[in-house]
Amino acid sequence: MIVAESRRQSRQYVNSVKAESVLPILLVTPATVGLALCVGLPTLLSLVGSFFSIPLVPGAPWQFVGFDNFVFVFTDDAVLQSIVNTFVYSALTIVPSLAIGLGLALLANAVVKGRALVRTLLFLPMTANLVAMSVVFNWIFSFNGGFVNQVLGLLGVAPINWTGDSQTSLLTVAMVGVWRTASLTMMIFFAGLATIPTSIDEATRSDGIRGLVRLTKITLPLIAPTVVFASVMAVLNSVQVFESINIMTQGGPLGSSETVLTMIWKLGFEYFELGRASALSFVLLAVLVLLGVLQRRTLAGGVK
Amino acid sequence: MTRASKVLLTLVVLAAVAVAIFPFYWMIRTSVAAPSEVLSGGLGFFPETVTLENYKRAWEDGALGQSIIVGLANVFGILALQLVTCIPAAYVLAKVPRRWGRVLLTFVLAGLLVPTQVILVPLFIGVNAVGLADSLGGLILPFATSAFGIYMLRQQMLSIPDTLLEAAKTDGLGTIRTLISIVIPMAAPGIAAFSIFSIFVHWNDYIWPLLVARSPELRTPPLALAVFQQADAGMDYTALTAGAAIVTAPIVLLFLVAQKHFVQGMSGAESPS
Repeated sequence: MIVAESRRQSRQYVNSVKAESVLPILLVTPATVGLALCVGLPTLLSLVGSFFSIPLVPGAPWQFVGFDNFVFVFTDDAVLQSIVNTFVYSALTIVPSLAIGLGLALLANAVVKGRALVRTLLFLPMTANLVAMSVVFNWIFSFNGGFVNQVLGLLGVAPINWTGDSQTSLLTVAMVGVWRTASLTMMIFFAGLATIPTSIDEATRSDGIRGLVRLTKITLPLIAPTVVFASVMAVLNSVQVFESINIMTQGGPLGSSETVLTMIWKLGFEYFELGRASALSFVLLAVLVLLGVLQRRTLAGGVK
Repeated sequence: MTRASKVLLTLVVLAAVAVAIFPFYWMIRTSVAAPSEVLSGGLGFFPETVTLENYKRAWEDGALGQSIIVGLANVFGILALQLVTCIPAAYVLAKVPRRWGRVLLTFVLAGLLVPTQVILVPLFIGVNAVGLADSLGGLILPFATSAFGIYMLRQQMLSIPDTLLEAAKTDGLGTIRTLISIVIPMAAPGIAAFSIFSIFVHWNDYIWPLLVARSPELRTPPLALAVFQQADAGMDYTALTAGAAIVTAPIVLLFLVAQKHFVQGMSGAESPS
């Protein structure tokens, strides 16, 4: 009888498992199909497309060109300049953004009165629309009557053609980049600092550990995952800069502020060299994926 | 803290706040100035006259009024699809153990590594091939689901106690009923944070609409503003800053009313889709 009972139970179990096994598959299907079509397939296509000359007309045959697109990407002067510019832009933005973001998070945390207001105001650059703010910065850095040149004029400095001079164009968009990215990293550091238990704070204080020692020996090690995450976000933001350049300099003058993403855009949608654009995209993707994997390695255990 | 270091701290923080908000001030200040004030050269730090005429020009001549409708349809169309696709998937990945769950999760995590900007070219080739270029569908459908959304919601749902779901099962609730009446309410903070993140990203997105929206009536607010700058307004910074304020205001307001969720979403990650 016990055997019959357990058989009945197990048959019931099998039936419910059957019904229950289809449903979860149905539940994940839309997301899986969506990711496959909108992320998986394009990623694959960006690799495959790198080896072809692709006409813009849908359905027209692709022509296999071997490694020509990659050769082009690594030998063309304009593309190489855009790669160099991306490195320069990143150098100008990443470290300052992280230093300012961390510094401001620490300082604003120490503010007693009006801390919430200070934090909200410091978050604003991150929240605003970058196209809109680039239009505003265009005006602030405008050669004629722009605020920066007005202030410089008061100091007796001749007006500078910030966005229109190949010496300053990249620097100008980099300043906008720091203005925005420092706000993002500060937001991330704020969240990280909030995870430090107050007991540790009190203990270090009563032990008289403060200043730089406290920062490097206590605070930074405690928020190490946050530091890694903020760094990755700063790098991602810098390497993929687009809006500010598209609005303020269009990559010019003479390609002096062209970056990888604006170059991909030009190759693909102004020169209609979709194969070459795919090749450059794929190089950028490889770099970003490598970066993401490194981040996960560093944060091993962070992902369950 | 000594008195001197307190003063220094306050000064540094005030300076940082000034730099952070100055562009916003200058945007508003310019947007209410008479165009002649700007053309005559120096614009004073404080407004002399206040006019809303520039907003009218940006709204009508810059077609920003029309673009806001497109922007809202775009943002909420994307959000609706993302919630419908991400919530059930996150639920299964968090609470319905399956042998293939591990594989699917790896797929989602891999998707997190691929920013839209980088697969722009193949994505456009695909959208063009299925005839969706220059349509609202072309704006919305590529973002119908989000690896970040699935991952973030799954993390949130993991913290729901299993005993609660066991109890629901004992009470005879099926998978779907459990999802609707227990999991979704308990994951509400995560859903709110992700929703705000999604609205933020897609209201501000520029590069994809720039590519897909060829017709003027499909322009999203940032795109309409960019076109306004290039085509009509040129150096007319009073109308342009008014336009910038119109584009920025909704998202800044959203941030101000939902700062907690916003920060939770942002400090999670900042890559679109």
